[in-house]
Amino acid sequence: MAYWETIFFWIALITYSLAFGGCLYSFIFKNPRVMPKITILLTFGFFAHTAAIIARFSATGHLPWSGHYEYALMGGWFIIAGTLFVGWQNKALQELTVATAPLVIVMMGYGYMQNPGLTRKAASLKTIWLYIHVYFAWLSFGAYSLAMAAGVLYLLKRRNEDRSVSNPAYDRFPSLGRLQELIFRYIVFGFITDTMMISAGSIWAKDLWGSYWAWDPVETWSLISWLIYGITIHLRITFGWRDKRMAWLAIVALSSVIISFFGVNLVVNTSLHVFQVR
Amino acid sequence: MIKKLLKYLSSLRFTILLICLLGLMFIIGLWVPQARLLKSIYLEWQRNSPVLVAYLDAFGLTSIYTSPITVTLWVFFFLNLALVMWQRIPVIKNRITLSEAKIADPLTVKGYSFQHSYQLSPDMDGNMVIALLRKHRFAILGDGTCFYGVKNRFAPIAFILFHLSFFLILLGGLITVYTRFMGYVDLAQGEPFKGDFSQYNSTPPIQMPQFGSLPSNRFTITSIVPSVAGFTPTGISIKLVDSQGLPHEAGINTPYSAENASFVFNHLGVAPLVILKSPSGQEIAGSYVKLDVLKGKADTFTLGGFNFKTKFYPDYVLEKGKPATRSMEFNNQVFTIVAEQGGKKIAEGTVSKGGTIEFAGYRLEVRDILYWVRFYVVKQYGVSVMYLGYAIASIALIWRLIFYRKELVGAVRDVDGVRYLHIAARSEFYKDLAEDDFTKFLESLLGNGRTNT
Ligand code: HEM
Repeated sequence: MAYWETIFFWIALITYSLAFGGCLYSFIFKNPRVMPKITILLTFGFFAHTAAIIARFSATGHLPWSGHYEYALMGGWFIIAGTLFVGWQNKALQELTVATAPLVIVMMGYGYMQNPGLTRKAASLKTIWLYIHVYFAWLSFGAYSLAMAAGVLYLLKRRNEDRSVSNPAYDRFPSLGRLQELIFRYIVFGFITDTMMISAGSIWAKDLWGSYWAWDPVETWSLISWLIYGITIHLRITFGWRDKRMAWLAIVALSSVIISFFGVNLVVNTSLHVFQVR
Repeated sequence: MIKKLLKYLSSLRFTILLICLLGLMFIIGLWVPQARLLKSIYLEWQRNSPVLVAYLDAFGLTSIYTSPITVTLWVFFFLNLALVMWQRIPVIKNRITLSEAKIADPLTVKGYSFQHSYQLSPDMDGNMVIALLRKHRFAILGDGTCFYGVKNRFAPIAFILFHLSFFLILLGGLITVYTRFMGYVDLAQGEPFKGDFSQYNSTPPIQMPQFGSLPSNRFTITSIVPSVAGFTPTGISIKLVDSQGLPHEAGINTPYSAENASFVFNHLGVAPLVILKSPSGQEIAGSYVKLDVLKGKADTFTLGGFNFKTKFYPDYVLEKGKPATRSMEFNNQVFTIVAEQGGKKIAEGTVSKGGTIEFAGYRLEVRDILYWVRFYVVKQYGVSVMYLGYAIASIALIWRLIFYRKELVGAVRDVDGVRYLHIAARSEFYKDLAEDDFTKFLESLLGNGRTNT
């Protein structure tokens, strides 16, 4: 890691942890007023996160997009960017932080333990299709994460409404109806970008490896998670799944994306290239 | 019975089941070592558990992506898809037709989740509202007093388009599978590619197409320049001239593609020009030998009855008296060579370009050091059909899911001298969010023409 990158990385990680702590405080002590302050904190962390990426960029000369640490760094950036963006558009959605912040903290922590060393850009990564592929992968990961977070908010709010004494911290959340439609909206955005990610990846693979599809574990997992989200969309549109079932689906389905990003070699170790492009 | 079966085959329940089963097969394929993908792991595993592997082989689970079970599932998938799409055509037709019957009274209409009345300023009438809606790409039926409007009317067609793109991808995929030639060829700098069957490597085996022929390309490699920074390969430039004398350049991510064949850079090796001289100083043998010695690998070659074991150090240094390399950069290229005769070591030495080793009166000279590359050669048709499928799928998804259909019914009525716009609206997929969207949209649409709500 570059010098300034390390400093900003830790500032970002600590700030995100504080923001997450703030969310918990808001729920436990039934205080909805702290949420705007938490968003300010998150924004501060996001600037530090951006600075860490810039520091790494200036040290390596390329955007961080290979190896687990770099996925975590950039994937986390996109998730927080998405959280801030939707929270800026609609204040009630600032609460998504409660689920996106811990996801990013765990991801960045995991990435840090893997391979944060500075690397030069391998020749295999010099192509426009990689930019398109990775960019859409992040967008899709970010959107699916927001869907998961909206699912968490839905379940929390739902549980609160079923209780006799309600917690005012949940009043700031969007209505249950809106939340479940937001889950779908984010999944839709994720699914579109996922489709583009897989298409671009396949075109890239044709140029780099000579075959557009090789049933490599990474490819296979991406296809599995794409199919899972395809099923989710069918269940919603054609079978009318809503409410808790949809929320749980959004949460559980994210695990398939996390596996294709980070975990394929944890689950199976037979990958030909598991992102380590030869 | 047949009717019942057909009904199930064309049901969405069956679709979900099929997608789940396909997903399951893919997951099994991740656990069970695949014969084609991981040959060495598969073979070792077969040695260790022959009975289990024999069973799995019998069910095709060790080549799962082409196993009869998977292929059957795909056949049902596309059958189901075709049946469902066929059934949906009348529904889609109905959804996209504009008919006067859709005009309704916004105050009593059913099925529209958003309902609101706006007070209009006296200078605004129904026709002006319609004109504004048309400006926002609503197709309108009716007149100022009562109208129906729809935006993105054709979005449901995109649903068909998206699912049909799967057929295009399938078609492209099948064409590529049946027309695919695959082989590997090793070519050193200066070496011509003549395209003969014999020029391809024998392992991995050449895959001949069911329909089609060998690539007809002919070319000669004029230069190979790898670039490395530290231990990271950062690029390779392979220059070649084709049979018409036209120059081309290939590299990582940029295969040389012509006449439906692509030559994808796969591997780099070192090709020293080695000359063997007899005790009298006469050249008795010499050639460029293609050695696979990068990343510390050892390789051998034979010349004039002698066997030579080699290792290569691209950036040679002596570390604690032992040869080593400082990086993978080609700064100081050195070979260590062990000469053998009849299986016995007779000499060894460290040789750079221009250097020699001597044994039993003979001399081996490394006169030049060039490179060779291994190309993965693929010739197939149908890839562009598949890419077209990807493009249509992406466009159709955006069209269907972002530009979804919005409908409204409206009426402008004067009550006690006050003019009202009554409006009921709905959008596909969303109800509560549609309410927010329509509130915003109508407020901005009516702007100053709205006195209060
Ligand atoms: C046998 C295969 C399939 C059949 C029969 C099928 C059928 C359908 C049907 C009937 C709809 C509802 C459209 C509507 O009510 O307006 C739909 C929607 C959808 N399906 Fe499929 N589908 C299949 C496979 C897939 C797959 C593999 C995916 C992707 C993973 C997928 C993604 C979607 C999406 C995103 C929608 C919602 C957007 C739209 O309406 O176009 N489908 N599908």
